[in-house]
Amino acid sequence: MRLDDLAMDNCLKCSLCNAVCPVLAVHPLYPGPKRLGPELERLRREGLSTDTEWVEYCLGCHRCDLVCPHQVNVSEMIARAKATHRKPLVRGLRDWWFARPGLLGKLTTILPALSNFALSMKPARFLMSKLMLIVPQRKFPSYTRPDLRAPVMTGKELERVVFFPGCFIRYNRPDLGRVVIDLLERNGLAAEVASTECCGVPAMANGDAAAARAAARANVKALAHHVDSGLRIVTACSSCGHMLKTGFSGVLQDDKEFAGAAQKIANNTFDLAELLMAQSDAGKLNIDFQNTNLRLAYHAPCHQRSQGIGRPWYHLLRLIPGVTVEDLDAGCCGMSGTYGFKQEKYTVSMEIGKELFSSIGAARPEMVATECATCQMQIEHGTTFKAIHPAEILLQAYDERCSG
Amino acid sequence: MGTNSYDVVVVGAALSGLCAAGAAAQRNRKVALVATGPGSFVNGPGWLRAQEILRASAAPELREAIAFYCELARLAGCPFAGDLSTARYLPTVLGDFQSVALAPLSLWKAEPRDGISTAIVGVRGLSIFDENFMAERLTERARMMSSGCTYTARQVPLSREMGVPVTTLRVAELFDRDHGFRAELIDALRTAASGFERILVPGMLGMNSSAAQIAEFQRELGCPMGEIPTLPPSIPGLRIFHRLESYLHQIGVELYRGFPVDKVVIHDGLCTGLRVASPGHPLHLRCESAVLATGRRTANPLGGEFAGCDQQMRPLTSTGSVIARNLFIAGPLPHTDGANHGNVLHILTGYRAGNLAASTRGNHAAR
Repeated sequence: MRLDDLAMDNCLKCSLCNAVCPVLAVHPLYPGPKRLGPELERLRREGLSTDTEWVEYCLGCHRCDLVCPHQVNVSEMIARAKATHRKPLVRGLRDWWFARPGLLGKLTTILPALSNFALSMKPARFLMSKLMLIVPQRKFPSYTRPDLRAPVMTGKELERVVFFPGCFIRYNRPDLGRVVIDLLERNGLAAEVASTECCGVPAMANGDAAAARAAARANVKALAHHVDSGLRIVTACSSCGHMLKTGFSGVLQDDKEFAGAAQKIANNTFDLAELLMAQSDAGKLNIDFQNTNLRLAYHAPCHQRSQGIGRPWYHLLRLIPGVTVEDLDAGCCGMSGTYGFKQEKYTVSMEIGKELFSSIGAARPEMVATECATCQMQIEHGTTFKAIHPAEILLQAYDERCSG
Repeated sequence: MGTNSYDVVVVGAALSGLCAAGAAAQRNRKVALVATGPGSFVNGPGWLRAQEILRASAAPELREAIAFYCELARLAGCPFAGDLSTARYLPTVLGDFQSVALAPLSLWKAEPRDGISTAIVGVRGLSIFDENFMAERLTERARMMSSGCTYTARQVPLSREMGVPVTTLRVAELFDRDHGFRAELIDALRTAASGFERILVPGMLGMNSSAAQIAEFQRELGCPMGEIPTLPPSIPGLRIFHRLESYLHQIGVELYRGFPVDKVVIHDGLCTGLRVASPGHPLHLRCESAVLATGRRTANPLGGEFAGCDQQMRPLTSTGSVIARNLFIAGPLPHTDGANHGNVLHILTGYRAGNLAASTRGNHAAR
């Protein structure tokens, strides 16, 4: 018997998952994780038709999983139901693209300037909202030609690690990728950039099981030999990290060829901050920070919380002299990757974000630090505050004296 | 430096774990609290029954422990009323009274009062709260107890889309988030309250609200008001959990939420750390001492080796030897009798274990 078969019976219907669900808090008609997860799962297992559009409204934030006293994998059950849900044609088409940010990135970065121009044009955005049901209010991130520098061998004795950049860093922010590599190097780690595909989180979120499996297989193929030779994998995007740690092994658990390798990858994947903290515990963290006067608010992305690694970024940022950090702990931002771009879900997305927006307003920081790219987009969309990846702040703190 | 190193690591967020973490943190220890969700006390009202107090009355630290808990709850914004030596009757959704020694203020205010005309105000469409049934039963029960309190049922409609059925969870969420909803609720309750000296409402006044926020609500309403807890999840119970958890966070307790401890690392009779079953690879928390407050029904990370504990709350093997000198057991884990020892046992053992852990140095003492 598989673990999740047991997990369904572990649901005692205590409704704590409903108490923490961000969607249920803002949408009175949403049936909630308890109903969409373990309750309907019983009927689904019996082959009864329980298809409902509501499964599309699950953010995949995993807050239900984290609060469950009996470790029921509520959101995984909903994700599986999502994968069998039949969508209307236009939304199906839109979600096919949303499930493939890697493909989108490859195409747009052939001529990045043209793509950015087209994506920012009012008439194009209007057409996208009409034809693709993508909200015109949101800005698309701009695309850049992929330019992830190979590691600079400075002659120092560096331990090798593998950097899994993910689509956002690869196609939108290769400069952030270089920040990550630089940060690792200053802490005794030489990062090699993995030639990997999209991690597959967008595919799962958009109910595209085949694309998620294809992404997981391709990535396992690309990463397996690295972990076999004893290297650790590092991610700087919390959703990629979450996927590498749980998703590959979840998606491929029945795949004889890949299940073992997927598990090995999960065991050897580290979030960037988690890895830096491990360096710190080994006495290898470079704490040569310059005094940096900065008041920060930190937002922990849902997929950071679901990795169960504590709050490494919060503690790292606090090591910089002069920096004050407030941990907002104000719930989910509501963006959930492509979710916030969808016309029919935009209002829900913004309503969920309200609590975070108002807590940022109350903290009045100089900027918000959060490692998830779409959390950053949502914060900048819903408030007047700038949101950046904490790695940028950390790297800058090494150089503060030179630049200031 | 060691980021995942703590003086005290507490496992479990029932009242025992929360009290242990609070007690250790108040003694300036660096504390971590690891938990997969709250303890099952959130399914209940969160009050302390007189019977539980009686059962624990032999414990020398009872008075001290309850005083500690009341202070912790007060600091967290959910003050308790009552004391150890008196008992009041508080109404339940089943139209009965329970004998309670201490309760959160909003529940305490629902005690029967002689000659006070009380309306029990339900919300239209709300599940598990039947004001007619309760008013009839409570009036009858009050008469049997020779109390002159009478109850009348009233119901208020709410205009917003509330879902079907309406749950106290939904009302509480709106209460917390939406100022406009609170204003609407006040208007509706005020109409229902006219002609009465007091109203009792279902426990629904916010999952995160402080006593001050509830008092402010009552001031605007202009009528004395009490809450009757519903099941489950009980909003007053959840409120205590949320307030205590966020207070602990605020005083520096590091919260590890979502994953269970699957191993207690023990070397030479000392617990050196705990292994958290995080996805991918486990998270190791090092500690000087630890408190296990995992409860009886959840997995006990000590496994079959554990067979009870000694006077100092240290775990014992079946042959009576101490498993680890710096490891303490709180909550109902050692009680195999199946009885419900309730919130008082949690508070008492949590407080003791937290203090014992705070004054114990493990093998890193030379650090």
